[in-house]
Amino acid sequence: MSIVITAIILALIAMLANGEYFLGSSMLSRPLVTCTLAGLVMGDVTQGIIIGATLELAFVGSFSIGASIPPEIISGSVLGTAFAIGAGKSTAVALTLGIPIASLVLVVKNLCFLFILPYFVHKADKYASEGNGKGVDRMNIFGGFFSINLPIGLVVGFSYLFGSEAIKGLLDVIPEFVINGLGIATGLLPAFGFAMLMKIMIKKTNATFFILGFAVAVYMKVPVTGVAVFGACMALILTGYSSFTGKKLTTSDNQEVNNQSGNALVGQEINYEDEEF
Amino acid sequence: MKMKNSNLITKKDLMRTFWRSFTAEWSWNYERQMNLGYSFAIRPALEKIYSQKPEQLTTAYQRHLEFYNVTPWLITFPLGISIAMEEQNAVNENFDESSINDVKIALMGPLSGLGDSFFWGTLRVIATGIGTSLAMQGNILGPLLFLLIFNIPAIIARYFGLFIGYNIGASFIEKVQKTGLMDKLSYGASILGLSVVGAMVATMVTLNMPLTIGSGSDATSLQDIFDGIVPQILPLLFTLFIFLLDRKGLKAHWILLMIAGIGIFGAWSGLLG
Repeated sequence: MSIVITAIILALIAMLANGEYFLGSSMLSRPLVTCTLAGLVMGDVTQGIIIGATLELAFVGSFSIGASIPPEIISGSVLGTAFAIGAGKSTAVALTLGIPIASLVLVVKNLCFLFILPYFVHKADKYASEGNGKGVDRMNIFGGFFSINLPIGLVVGFSYLFGSEAIKGLLDVIPEFVINGLGIATGLLPAFGFAMLMKIMIKKTNATFFILGFAVAVYMKVPVTGVAVFGACMALILTGYSSFTGKKLTTSDNQEVNNQSGNALVGQEINYEDEEF
Repeated sequence: MKMKNSNLITKKDLMRTFWRSFTAEWSWNYERQMNLGYSFAIRPALEKIYSQKPEQLTTAYQRHLEFYNVTPWLITFPLGISIAMEEQNAVNENFDESSINDVKIALMGPLSGLGDSFFWGTLRVIATGIGTSLAMQGNILGPLLFLLIFNIPAIIARYFGLFIGYNIGASFIEKVQKTGLMDKLSYGASILGLSVVGAMVATMVTLNMPLTIGSGSDATSLQDIFDGIVPQILPLLFTLFIFLLDRKGLKAHWILLMIAGIGIFGAWSGLLG
């Protein structure tokens, strides 16, 4: 496969990955998915999957919660995988290349966020004030495509096209212990992700369950899936699921609501102004 | 799912909103975040509700271009409520229009709190745990299961969120605040999520100290000594160390650089391996 065609396919993979946000925030942009696809294109799907698992753990803490924008993991994982497999190198190399790429492309992405996307947001306001609903719709579709999706595709495609020779040269210059050291860092990086998760979840009232999960895994050698099952049972017991008079949580809610809705509808009209929001 | 009787909005209309809600984050922007996605999802319903009232339709478009942000898989829930309220607004002259956005915004905080801990902290962690443990061996089921485990519940939540939201309309918030249901769900999700995170720290963070102390047959590696105290204590301590740094406000990219630095230093000195 010529390098141009490979570059185009990699660009399309990056755009599909970013297309996650058009397709129900469905995790297509995660390294587990993108590295597998990149591996497929580079002719070594197994290696792609393994790189994907490593990068997934390394980036487990980077996700867009609230208004924070995480490193641009799509370009990092697609290009990292493509360069590593293309040069016949290991997983550590994919990570070595992937992290700086992700940070660099985040700069590009932020520029797009600042200078391109606002145009579409304001254009949508204008269409709305004219009562042009279809125009507002178009701004949603074009905005994401031209501001983020296409730029990411272009960055990935051109980087591969012009970068692969340079990268091969660069990899020969980097000393052995640096590559090994980054391999070790690969093992440590998930700690960062887990720390980020703990930051959003841990409280005095639930910190015990972190220790419990750890202890069950190390002493009883229960795999992660098993711990998830135990955790789910604990959650159901401790939130008083059994005290819901044996009825299922959601259905009892719905029935209640359905029964009320007839009366509630009449009442609602009056109630709105009194409610405290 | 069954929906409450309405002579205007049909199940088909709600399904259009359902499919359109998939684009919620597509044009996510710093200024008003998910506003374009929200208005995109609700537009067909608005058009139908205000088909005879072009002026009200215009204000409705503008109303839903205001700032909005929520965990994306739960966006259908406020959408359902908004549709129910818009429908009332169209028939009832005394309806307070501003309450539509008030309710929407009131839901943002509690819903995101629940959604972030459930989808990011629990569901994705489980999907990642199962997916990566298979993928580490090069098994194609890894990425496939990862996608399925995450997306099936996410799509179900998206579907039911819309209908539940539409059926109960605005009365929901009051109800939730009375029963504390949201707190309970959040707490339950955090129990499940944290125990899985604990297990993942134990199995997926790798920190080896091959350095040996003593000589000949007495030689033991530092690793064995630490594991003798508590197995996998080094990954645990390292994770807690990063957690503290993060809490102290150290920026993410410094932490990443530091981890890379520790790795390289460890390899150079032979302390880590």
